[in-house]
Amino acid sequence: MRRPLVFFALLLAAPAAVLAHHGWGSYDASKTIVVEGPIQASSYTNPHATITVKAPDKTWTVTLAPVARMQSRGATAELVGIGKTVKAEGYASKAEPDEMRAERITVDGKTVEMR
Amino acid sequence: MLVLADAPQFLIALEQSGLALAIRQSTWAYPAANVGHIVALTLFAGSVAIMDMRLLGAFAAAPPASIVRPARRMAMLGLALMALTGFMLFAAEASHVATNGVFQVKAGLIALGILNALLIAGPALAKVADMPAGAALPARVRLAAIVSLLIWVSVAACGRLIAYF
Repeated sequence: MRRPLVFFALLLAAPAAVLAHHGWGSYDASKTIVVEGPIQASSYTNPHATITVKAPDKTWTVTLAPVARMQSRGATAELVGIGKTVKAEGYASKAEPDEMRAERITVDGKTVEMR
Repeated sequence: MLVLADAPQFLIALEQSGLALAIRQSTWAYPAANVGHIVALTLFAGSVAIMDMRLLGAFAAAPPASIVRPARRMAMLGLALMALTGFMLFAAEASHVATNGVFQVKAGLIALGILNALLIAGPALAKVADMPAGAALPARVRLAAIVSLLIWVSVAACGRLIAYF
């Protein structure tokens, strides 16, 4: 009876059910980048809000946090709406050349953590 | 959410459908489906584990069919709930998820797991239907149980890993 129990324990342990949606593994966390400019498009949706930011170098897609976290931290749809100027600090995607994941954003003098 | 333009058309259509839009725009639909998927997983994985462990010789004081039959029904319920909640999560970002390599492996493993349950485990279970408690079970039955456990644990692992690759 002992061996089956170990097997069963392994089965339960394997799918460690962490509810975070996206990992940060596909972003280059070794180098923080700053993307600053006007918001040209804004999608206040799950699983992550995203904004399009026209920075001096290029137009970035900036991945933000899930909607409920954005709301609870005061990053409303208005705050990240079209026309606002945002400063996003975070990491560039290793897969998509124009995408970055924001660790924090600053809009209207208000800084909100995304993680 | 940006659609991947080079994804197959039906995935783009799904991602841009009213249902997918509603899931993304709701504050709670996506997180609720996420929680529901994990709750359904506990039901499914627990039922599969009990069923397969009995076929491997655990809980031998009870006749195999008395455990395997109800556990298999619970597993089917769990699988149906996983499919429902999984479809919601998938629809919300279909073009991205479907082109994810880990998701493709997961989908293939789910197909294998269902084939194993229907084509190998199903007929094998007919053989144990009238076996008494404590009886030694055929090797084919034990093999199907091991394959089942390996496949479904791998499916669960892939599910978690989609977000990281």
